[in-house]
Amino acid sequence: MSPRWIMLWLILFSLPVLAELDYGLKPRLIADDTWLLEGSTANFTKDNGGNIVNVGFIVTEAGVVVIDTGPSRRYGEALRQAIARVTEKPVIQVLLTHHHPDHALGNQAFKDVPIGALAGTAELLHAQGDSLAENLYRLVGDWMRGTEVVLPGEVLQAGVKTFGSHDLQLLHLRGHTGADLAILDRKTGVLFAGDLVFYQRALTTPHTPGLAQWQADIATLQGLPWTLVVPGHGPIATDAKPFEQMRDYLTWLDHLLRDGAAQGRDMSELIRSPIPERFATINLARYELTRSVTHLYPQYERTQMQPINTQQ
Amino acid sequence: MRLRGWWICCVPMLAWGAPVDPVPSVMWAYYHQLFLANAPFVFDERVKLLAPPFAEDARQVPLEIDARAFKGDVVKILAWAELNPLPQIVDFQPMERVLPWLSIRVRIEQATPLRATVLTRDGLWHVGSALIDAAGGGCTAPSVVRTQPGWEDHLGEVLGGRYPRATFSRVKLHVAHPMDNGMVSGIPEFFINHAELRSDDNRLLARMELFPAVSENPNLAFDIEGPGPTRLTLRDTSGSQFEAAIP
Repeated sequence: MSPRWIMLWLILFSLPVLAELDYGLKPRLIADDTWLLEGSTANFTKDNGGNIVNVGFIVTEAGVVVIDTGPSRRYGEALRQAIARVTEKPVIQVLLTHHHPDHALGNQAFKDVPIGALAGTAELLHAQGDSLAENLYRLVGDWMRGTEVVLPGEVLQAGVKTFGSHDLQLLHLRGHTGADLAILDRKTGVLFAGDLVFYQRALTTPHTPGLAQWQADIATLQGLPWTLVVPGHGPIATDAKPFEQMRDYLTWLDHLLRDGAAQGRDMSELIRSPIPERFATINLARYELTRSVTHLYPQYERTQMQPINTQQ
Repeated sequence: MRLRGWWICCVPMLAWGAPVDPVPSVMWAYYHQLFLANAPFVFDERVKLLAPPFAEDARQVPLEIDARAFKGDVVKILAWAELNPLPQIVDFQPMERVLPWLSIRVRIEQATPLRATVLTRDGLWHVGSALIDAAGGGCTAPSVVRTQPGWEDHLGEVLGGRYPRATFSRVKLHVAHPMDNGMVSGIPEFFINHAELRSDDNRLLARMELFPAVSENPNLAFDIEGPGPTRLTLRDTSGSQFEAAIP
């Protein structure tokens, strides 16, 4: 074979590899000045590149405020391009709702901008970021290429932060990871709930301090003067349905674990528990139940056991 | 010779009648020899080895081994994780009143076939199988117990509970022990390797050898028929003995 033929074959077979991975981000206007990039309610896969998350931005007079940066460097860069297609205003602030990789691994694209997060979020990202990123490489593959953890440089506290005419109320909550930021735009009434609210997608529990704390946070959020709720995952809503679903699911999960422990049921038995019909619309409920039982059941079990040593 | 290739037609017959492994395994033959000494066996769906489809926490993977289909006929139950660096999990011998059912949490180093093999009195091994996916690292992860200050003071502490069922009661145990498997740098093997359940009148109800694939702070559960208190004796590789009474 002549070198020219070999070259041709090489190009032909490497085409699928060279095909550009594209998140196809299309910002959608959901309120005045407020844009949403809605991810799917699926799990991390090599098809979606980890775009399973809701990311938002607010175009204020002073510049653009970005809420979460997505799962990868590639996503962060695509996000920045998507913002530039909508407005000429510069990005002036990133706010991270929490440290989970699908929300904070796009930070690399915003190195020139102050990245703000709760102190607890920065600590958790510092401690767990690399292993969380490693796991995403395993799950979504090449989409992650070049992605590295960038820690937030600005510590946020509960209170009001103003950008242009938008007064953003920052809430320091705990239910999902121990350090969860929720953001209410008082001008538009849009509530960015972060992963304190999952809607039509089963909630995840690897770092929750407890379901009771989470329930309390849901009550706090629902009591705010919001007009539109942006969950961390799942469709937005103008009614209270996301809160109701969260409360219903959290209550069910808590009772399942508590009753299971009281009856001495086995962990793998609980993992196989039937999921109520009313949660049929919630994506990944079976998968997340397996995870949640693994995370939470040991604490519930121990409350139902007594010390029984006779001597040591 | 025109018929030189005729024997090709007989090749399918060689595979005919050979047992069909329900999980994709490259190591069954090896473990069949190592743990079962090439004794006769069948892959048997009546031995239920129940594991989640994936290991959410590779250091604490819940397994349930259910051989109640062979109640009264079980000599021992061996379990292992084929692709673990330390594959063996448990050698469980239920005797009087203890059902051939066991729950245990284990460490998984990577995605692997799991086996629970049941020896019945007729000398035949019944092999239950499962497959589990895992991000991995469960066996080589640093100990969680050892990061807790004062863990030595709690060594061998047993939490227990007895939960009545229709025809038996479930006994659940949680033992404080690091279960060091020797794979973490600088920490030698140190694990509970022996457990016994005895009745009030000192009759042996069940015996169990544990191996370092068992998770730290072991969680165990048994099903026991009939009333009356039960005594638990645990021994670790350093010779310490821990005793507990299950009400």
